[in-house]
Amino acid sequence: MVKSLVSRVWLPVLASFTYLFLYLPIIVLIFLSFNASDFPFKWDGFTLKWYASLLHEPELFIALKNSLLVALTSVALSLVMGLLFVYCGWQYRLYRFMPAFLAAVALPEIVLAVGLLSFFSFFSVPLGLTTLIVGHTLLGLSFVIPIIRTQFLELDYSLTEASLDLGASEAQTFFKIILPLLSPALVAGGLLVFILSLDDFLISFFCSGPTSQTLSLYIFGMIRLGVSPTINALSTMLLAISSLLVIAFCSLNISNRGL
Amino acid sequence: MIGIRLEGITKYYNGELIINNLNLTIEEGKFFALLGPSGCGKTTILRMIAGFENVDAGKIYLGDEDITHVPAYGRPIKTVFQNYALFPHMNVFDNVAYGLRIKKMSADMIEQKVLRILKAVDLEAQVNKYIQQLSGGQQQRVALARAIINEPDVLLLDEPLAALDLNLRERMLLELIDLQEKFKTTFIYVTHDQAEALTVADRMAIMNYDGEIEQVGTPKEIYEFPASSFVAQFVGSTNSIKGYISIPQNEQAVLNVAALGEIVITLPKEKRWARDGNHAVLSLRPEKIEISKKPLEGFANHFTGVVESIVYQGRWTQYKVRLKNDMRLQVFEQNEEHFPQEEIDYYDEVHLYWQKENAVLLEK
Amino acid sequence: MQLFNTLKKQASFIAAVPALIWQILFLYVPLLFLLSASFFKRWPVFNVYDLTFTNIAAVITTAHFKIIGWSLIQAMTIATACLLVGYPVAYFFAVKMRRWKNFFLFFLMLPFWTNFLVQAYAWFFVLERNGLLNRFLLSLGIIREPLQILYSPFAVILVMFYCYLPFMILPLYGVLEKFDLRLIEASLDLGATSSKTFFKITLPLTMSGIRNGFLLVMVPAFGEYAIPAIMGGGRYLYVGSLISNYFLESRDPAVGSSFTTVSGCVILFIVLIISRVMASPKQIQKQER
Repeated sequence: MVKSLVSRVWLPVLASFTYLFLYLPIIVLIFLSFNASDFPFKWDGFTLKWYASLLHEPELFIALKNSLLVALTSVALSLVMGLLFVYCGWQYRLYRFMPAFLAAVALPEIVLAVGLLSFFSFFSVPLGLTTLIVGHTLLGLSFVIPIIRTQFLELDYSLTEASLDLGASEAQTFFKIILPLLSPALVAGGLLVFILSLDDFLISFFCSGPTSQTLSLYIFGMIRLGVSPTINALSTMLLAISSLLVIAFCSLNISNRGL
Repeated sequence: MIGIRLEGITKYYNGELIINNLNLTIEEGKFFALLGPSGCGKTTILRMIAGFENVDAGKIYLGDEDITHVPAYGRPIKTVFQNYALFPHMNVFDNVAYGLRIKKMSADMIEQKVLRILKAVDLEAQVNKYIQQLSGGQQQRVALARAIINEPDVLLLDEPLAALDLNLRERMLLELIDLQEKFKTTFIYVTHDQAEALTVADRMAIMNYDGEIEQVGTPKEIYEFPASSFVAQFVGSTNSIKGYISIPQNEQAVLNVAALGEIVITLPKEKRWARDGNHAVLSLRPEKIEISKKPLEGFANHFTGVVESIVYQGRWTQYKVRLKNDMRLQVFEQNEEHFPQEEIDYYDEVHLYWQKENAVLLEK
Repeated sequence: MQLFNTLKKQASFIAAVPALIWQILFLYVPLLFLLSASFFKRWPVFNVYDLTFTNIAAVITTAHFKIIGWSLIQAMTIATACLLVGYPVAYFFAVKMRRWKNFFLFFLMLPFWTNFLVQAYAWFFVLERNGLLNRFLLSLGIIREPLQILYSPFAVILVMFYCYLPFMILPLYGVLEKFDLRLIEASLDLGATSSKTFFKITLPLTMSGIRNGFLLVMVPAFGEYAIPAIMGGGRYLYVGSLISNYFLESRDPAVGSSFTTVSGCVILFIVLIISRVMASPKQIQKQER
């Protein structure tokens, strides 16, 4: 292929700058989380005290627990309902209704959040973790269903027929053949919804009650109070945990690809 | 050993009638081939026998049992799919063992049977490999093993060799014949390749574009005595010569061909259309024509022409000869000798001969 | 046997439907609520006779449309910037760095996996008066006094660009990875220049990724609340902040619903236009069985 100046010089340069751009603030953040000084740009020595102070924040742990609970439940609900919709719904041509799931992505999340708020308040539903789960699952479905459907379309239908031909019932075929072959989509979708839910701010902001603090709201609250090294420590920890999760996920993927 | 009987099978697809009142009996324990052009419905028939397609009208019998409404997993009929349909997330052993595991056979039994059948198809060494690591021919044999290990009453093969190259295909065809003879299972083999069908079949059926069965018989019957022009042209090549029948009193029946003359023919017995004055078509296979630059004796039919094209094809040479009525006849001459006694070249004048028994008179 | 089969079919249908019911119940019904609440005087909706247009009238003002317009322009700017940066980067990794692409993509996406509030927060240390950027510019002598970047529209746009860039890169990467490079070779072989090839072949065939990325950035950016709140110091009014204000602070949900409805309609309209403009070239799709 013709190697022009663009591809030789400019593209790599742009890519490098993008990397730099993406990592710069984060590196600064990590750096400062170990800074003993109260003031950001006066380096006073290495310390872990800000991390230690995190352990003394009970609200943080409550928020974390809530976020995890909501995230895992939303993932489970989205995956199960999404899978059933794609798989069982195929014979009834329910995929014609797939555009209905687009609205959750075609509208800004704040519209969804406010709509849910109106809905819940009209029916006097108390706002709490349950209402959060409802909202996150709503978002989750919009992401999970296209992902599962794409993988489902790539499934070789003759594999289902082969399984039936060899004597397996429809249920057995589903669990032994379809499910394993759809698992990449399920894992990808599940991970996506998990992160979406953990990260979610707007729906939590509008639809969580006074007792249901989530991680995003906690962080937002802290930031609103101003810059503090504790936030730096928390941020670095979150970064580390997410990175580990993603590394674990990717290595799972790679070992699967070895097949 | 059980055979299949199709009675009055009718099938619609998207409102269109693709199979109309089809009847077919497939004998037990034989290798049966269903031959037809792509899209004629032969795969649909196979899938109906397997249980993947519903029958709109008619019945399917397995022996004496009506299996028309039995779902696929309840039929003792196994399929070898065209694209093999091997499970990508399982290795060879698990793929082959799949049907047995569903039947909840003991693990020891399964291991025994799987290894035995893998040995029979020469795949012992690949037992733990995943299918993506196998070649096309190996995958094909896994698909075969996976189906046969369940000892089905009938084995369906849907163009199983389509993805293989020629040499491998020829080898696999012979292997399939061996397997069928060994297991004595009823094989039903669907293909659009007439050479394959002729090779493997004990009996075969030809389907035309409209989903109808034109002829059922042994390969030899079908090749040498085609029932219609379609069969004559689809199975092998032939020269179709149109003319009208003339049966003068006490003399040889002939086919009168415009601007050419009279061809001495053998009249088919008991055919109402084979009457004096009726139009008919003569199917004359290219290998039945003798081509020579020198005149020969002893043939009922003799015509002269000019060689228009010569195609050397290894085993034989194909000639196209233009007769005096501008009709072109295809002639196959087997390349028996390295240095043939006479060399036929472009634009040579040649003599064509054939015996009247070696051509078949057809209605249309 | 027949009864069992029909029961099985029913069970199948019942299993498939909850996802749809969920969408209808928790998305479309609430949207209907919003729409209807725009027309009612009191909150929550009680009486049909309370119908009024004052709520709608209250939001169809120049001030409101200025806010909507400004948020829209900002969202499109950010989306365009993400596209201009994201496409070459995605192209570079998907097409040029074939062997290491997963590796590099992984590291590119790593910041994406953190909470976006954390991402935004990190920018404080770069943008503040004592921050990295100012120190850098000062040390190079480009400026003489530290710039006030934080709490300005520029900060908001920059941080949103930062947070949304991965949303653009991912779909683009997905489309570019599947792109058949032989098409480029064929085009060059037939005499087209590199740039002609790009505009006639690559661009149209990757249009679906471009459109998805663009919408994935533009739509959330339009209704963004948190980042303007943090980075803009709450001083500039965007659609997100105004809606939040109506519902949570000034407690005027009726007018809030109207405004949300109007904003929602505007963005939907824009989405439709963009989907039309950035349509993939017509291709015959595989038949559904």
